[in-house]
Amino acid sequence: MDSAPLYLEPHLEPSLASLLDSAAFLHTLVDALGSPLNVVLPDEIARNVERFRAAYRRHNLAGQVFFAHKANRSSALVRRLAATDAGIDVASLGELQHALGAGFAPDRILATGPKNPEFRWLAARSGVTVSVDGPEELEELDALVGRHGLPPVRVLLRLADFEAPGAKVLSRQTHFGTSVKSLDQLLDVVERHQEAIRPIGVAYHLDTTSLDEKAIALEGCLLAMDALRKRGFQPRVIDIGGGFGVNYLAHAAQWERYTTELTNAVLGKRPSMTWSGHGYGLRAENGTLRGTLSLYPAHRPVAGAAYLDELLSLPARALGRPLGTLLLENLYDLHIEPGRSLVDQCGLSLARVLEVRRTDTGDHLVRLAMKANDASLEEHGVLMDPVLLPRGGVAAATGPAAVHLTGNLCLEADLITRRTVHLPRLPQPGDLLAFANTAGYCMDFSATHAQQQPIARKVAVHRDGGSWRWCLDEQYWPITRPGGQQI
Amino acid sequence: MRYDSITEAIGGTPLVRIDPAVHGLRNIDLYAKLEMLNPFGSVKDRAAWNMARPGLADAGERAATVVELSSGNTAKALAVIAGMHGVSFKSVTNRMRVPEIKDLLLLLGAEIEELPGQTECLDPTNTEDPLTLFHQKLSEPGSASLHTDQYFNELNTEAHAAGTGPEIVADLDGRSPDWFIACVGTAGSSTGVARVLREHDPAVRVVGLVGEKKDFIPGIRNVDEVNQVGLFDPATYDSIETVSAEEALDGMLTLVRRCGILSGPTGGAAYFGAVRQLRPVDEELDSPANSGPDAEHPAERHADRRRQTAVFIVCDRVESYLSYVRQRRPELLGRPPVKNSVATLTDAELQAATVIDTADAQKWIAAERPLVVDLRGPFAYAALHIEGAVNIVDELFDELIRGGLPFSKRQPVLLACPVGEKSAQYAALLTRMGHPDVRSLAGGIIAWRDAGAPLVRD
Repeated sequence: MDSAPLYLEPHLEPSLASLLDSAAFLHTLVDALGSPLNVVLPDEIARNVERFRAAYRRHNLAGQVFFAHKANRSSALVRRLAATDAGIDVASLGELQHALGAGFAPDRILATGPKNPEFRWLAARSGVTVSVDGPEELEELDALVGRHGLPPVRVLLRLADFEAPGAKVLSRQTHFGTSVKSLDQLLDVVERHQEAIRPIGVAYHLDTTSLDEKAIALEGCLLAMDALRKRGFQPRVIDIGGGFGVNYLAHAAQWERYTTELTNAVLGKRPSMTWSGHGYGLRAENGTLRGTLSLYPAHRPVAGAAYLDELLSLPARALGRPLGTLLLENLYDLHIEPGRSLVDQCGLSLARVLEVRRTDTGDHLVRLAMKANDASLEEHGVLMDPVLLPRGGVAAATGPAAVHLTGNLCLEADLITRRTVHLPRLPQPGDLLAFANTAGYCMDFSATHAQQQPIARKVAVHRDGGSWRWCLDEQYWPITRPGGQQI
Repeated sequence: MRYDSITEAIGGTPLVRIDPAVHGLRNIDLYAKLEMLNPFGSVKDRAAWNMARPGLADAGERAATVVELSSGNTAKALAVIAGMHGVSFKSVTNRMRVPEIKDLLLLLGAEIEELPGQTECLDPTNTEDPLTLFHQKLSEPGSASLHTDQYFNELNTEAHAAGTGPEIVADLDGRSPDWFIACVGTAGSSTGVARVLREHDPAVRVVGLVGEKKDFIPGIRNVDEVNQVGLFDPATYDSIETVSAEEALDGMLTLVRRCGILSGPTGGAAYFGAVRQLRPVDEELDSPANSGPDAEHPAERHADRRRQTAVFIVCDRVESYLSYVRQRRPELLGRPPVKNSVATLTDAELQAATVIDTADAQKWIAAERPLVVDLRGPFAYAALHIEGAVNIVDELFDELIRGGLPFSKRQPVLLACPVGEKSAQYAALLTRMGHPDVRSLAGGIIAWRDAGAPLVRD
């Protein structure tokens, strides 16, 4: 057994890396705005859109990239996105209002997910495309259009339970969408309400990392589109949802070594690597490993736009040709709804170190001015080291330290992570820990006001020559640089 | 040899010496145990037969299905055995990553169920671990199944303790080899063989090989996965070493190209791991300090007391792994370029191809009735196409023109593809081949649609 520190260093692209090099700037921000603090880099979202566009170009495909708004509430990110040619996928009344207010015209907005009547009304009234779950929602839309004299609503039919010839591929149960087996009945409803409803295509979203499952769903959509055409509709869009993934870690070798050692720890072959011997889903029975590692695959060589590229290059099982080719030659537009992958490298979460102490058992406890759900990496199963930013720029002259990170709630369960975190130095009170790449779901999706502790404020930053400028997230507009200068 | 049933042909596989000129070991005889010569093609035939046999009659009576978690050879052997006994077989897997094997299993009559991938948005409260679900399903009341359970079934190990191991000892004139090197999949073969060899000679050194995590080797567990195997006991092995997919392919190439042994990547990994393990031992044996009698290897063991023997297992055959090789070493399957290929077009030839936009194409079609060839797939063509077009899908068209022009030079031709890219390439190629009037639809069918020109569905 190898006793070297088990680092899981974050993958940092130049902008985020350069921001983390500016420790004095980040300390000033936390001094003024408190801990925890979220920082977003709006320009990175535009760069990510361009990466997806490049994948589209490689397959000659047209269509829209919709940002799944739920991944982050930031106004700066949404407003910066509005300044590109991308669209936005909204899943609540508030998100729709936010998108409209940020400058998205209705033809660049897609309303998905569970909807209440107000959300549905604003979507229909403003002319946003609606992704519908089933016949009930079509009936509701039809009634809404009739009652309020609204223009016809453009809809995407969300489908589920796809099947393919050959080996049976199992998928998790979903409570969204209509089974393709009931497509005919669904189209009967569409036909009945042709005055109020314009089907522009079909959609799916599968919560899986498996390309095979997605390939079967995409092929199922191609067949469903043909069913629409047979009924005289002129559908044009296949929406394949999101789930393209993010690569969080810099080094595959660290991830492989970490997971191997975790296995060994669960089997009792090395000292525990976690608080109370937590196994992240693994357990030992008679010396054999059982269970499944329930962690996000933090090192993913193929993620984001590259994952889309790989999906489009896969051959369809029944139709034979690559999926991208089939989309193209059937003259369909491809819509995607990336969340996490579109805000990759778009932000970080900062927390102040309040206390460092050594327990009777010799463990280092590092208490942060932050709750676990302020940077909910752990909740999303993402294991990644925070970056230590010493106060005054000088780290204490200690060697590598293994620490447990605890939060500011008076609650045993408030551990920022249940794993023992290896840092190159022991943190000191006043230092900052920066959790990198938290903009996708980990920044504000789960943050609560529990115990009346503050929720992180959010700032947008921009690099101006050699220095960083900032403004409050809600003050950001893409025509002015953070700091005031008009572009 | 005459048999009443093909299952009697399981086992009794040859032990073949690898030519020292290939591996370069001067003091060690390296033998390959050719498990690939079992009737269904792999080492798993033994375990599959041993595990399934006791329950087959009963399974037939209660119309039970044989069920196994397998992505390859065990499934293959069980599918054959189940079929011979009129019983159905289902393979459940999340690891079937070699497409030919999937097709082969379907051909043999197996049913395949693939487990779902990991969730993208983690739900830590989710207890829906696919394997747990699999076991729950098996124990549901009324589920008629015979679960052979290869990763935990002692009958798997026993097949090798009763067969493979004793065969090796017999073929080495009643002696254990000094070294035994095996890849660890279910751990059945390595555990069973090691048990027998140790009984004969406790000094035998057993090396288990596992895969590196970054890529997979079919049939081998990686360094973490091996801990999930019930039959795996670290004490079986004197050491556990890792092999990469690249190394497995290197080993496989040596076996297939130089030794006449048509081994798959797993056997390649075993060969590579064996030679890597033995090379320093061989050098040690060369050194003068070892010229005297060796305490560990008494004089009666070998005529030449410094010579050692080593055995590795060749699990299965190469034929099922062509796509695995193609993905990792495409150059090994490279073919010379064909004559009439778009790949050979020059930029000048591409520039010179005649393109025609939608409006002009409509006029040309009306005036001269060119043959309209739609190069898209049949599914897309059937949905919507230019009236009167014939559909020759690009990959078919590509093969067709390798032999020459497929239509008369007096017949003008309009080629159409989705965006006008491929059709321009083929127009250039047909022009080079001597056709006087081939044109490519500029912007393809998409431009045609966007211009509002008619598309029909028959």
